[in-house]
Amino acid sequence: MTTEDSRAQYLATGSSGSGESNERLDLIRDVLGSGATWAEPPPQVGDGILASLASEAATQPAMAEPTTGRWALVLAGVGGLVAFAALVLGTMSVMRPDQDNVVAMSGTELETKASGEAEFGPTDAGWWVRLEVTGLPPAPEGSYYQGWVWSDDGEGVSIGTFHLRGDEMPIVLWSGVPLAEYPSIWVTLESEADGPEASDQIVMTGRIPDVPEA
Amino acid sequence: MDREVLERFRLGDEAAVKAVYDRFGGPVFALSMSILGEHGLAADATQQTFIKAWRAASTYDADRSFGPWIYAIARRTAIDLYRKRARVVVSDEVDVVYLPIGLETVWEVFEVRSALDRLPDEEREVVRMSHFDGLTHVEIAERLDIPVGTVKSRSHRAHQRLMAMLKHVEEV
Repeated sequence: MTTEDSRAQYLATGSSGSGESNERLDLIRDVLGSGATWAEPPPQVGDGILASLASEAATQPAMAEPTTGRWALVLAGVGGLVAFAALVLGTMSVMRPDQDNVVAMSGTELETKASGEAEFGPTDAGWWVRLEVTGLPPAPEGSYYQGWVWSDDGEGVSIGTFHLRGDEMPIVLWSGVPLAEYPSIWVTLESEADGPEASDQIVMTGRIPDVPEA
Repeated sequence: MDREVLERFRLGDEAAVKAVYDRFGGPVFALSMSILGEHGLAADATQQTFIKAWRAASTYDADRSFGPWIYAIARRTAIDLYRKRARVVVSDEVDVVYLPIGLETVWEVFEVRSALDRLPDEEREVVRMSHFDGLTHVEIAERLDIPVGTVKSRSHRAHQRLMAMLKHVEEV
């Protein structure tokens, strides 16, 4: 048995047959048995990251300066305005903030003090929806808030979850379906013990009057 | 990670951000779980990590390995989130204490998960069932409805691959 085989056997079984222990491999074995090591991020995290970046690029003037700097470097590297424009168009689908892209959100009888706005804009594969809410308390332990877009035919599609227990990030959700066909935005309170369907605990609602094509 | 992807990530390209997330989302989430211990918070930390990485992408040197760079951002982000959660008002004079946090194996969790994500699916499954579920080779064979010999050969290959990928972790 080679040294590599021996170490692989130790990693697999905790013993190489020689009776010697290996503290580092024991630690790696412990890590292999840990639930954290195998934990999978919820599927909406990846979409949320893309939506946040698209939202940030579209709505934060503060990003313009460093972004311009990066673009300037690219421009120097590829040598032309055409390449610059292609790169911009090919990356973030930036839409400038516009009042047409903001809709008021209001609390229902379940959360009468809740109010806010939903701003939205296109990404390369859907729409980001940024919520700014006040008066909505953190979701109780064992529950979370879920954003939905709803069609006039009564079909709802989840656009992501949040719980308001943190304080530093905007709530940016992502819709893979066109907002023109799903113009109502709802926020529901969901229990972690329940299934994926929307609960009847609707805490905020809003409606987009006219949605530009993405 | 492909250098071209990293260069495009540095420029903020959306497809590159997605490719980087596909490669490092699991390790970052595992690291966050090891510090925060709760799915919702770990998801927040993971999202914040990639947004911070994107914002700081112009400072990333594509000649250097990407893993340690995003590991450092992820660790700091999860610890910051942990401290906010662990903030406890004790009295007017002493208003903050931090609950103990175990950081001893955070790097190992990140590296081990990175290695696991590079295993073929069928080998990764055997490693998971062996180490995490605590099953014997016979039990894994029954669960997957494959011969015990196949389980043994997959396990052998998987652990050899892991040892090769984790040599730097073992030799710290």
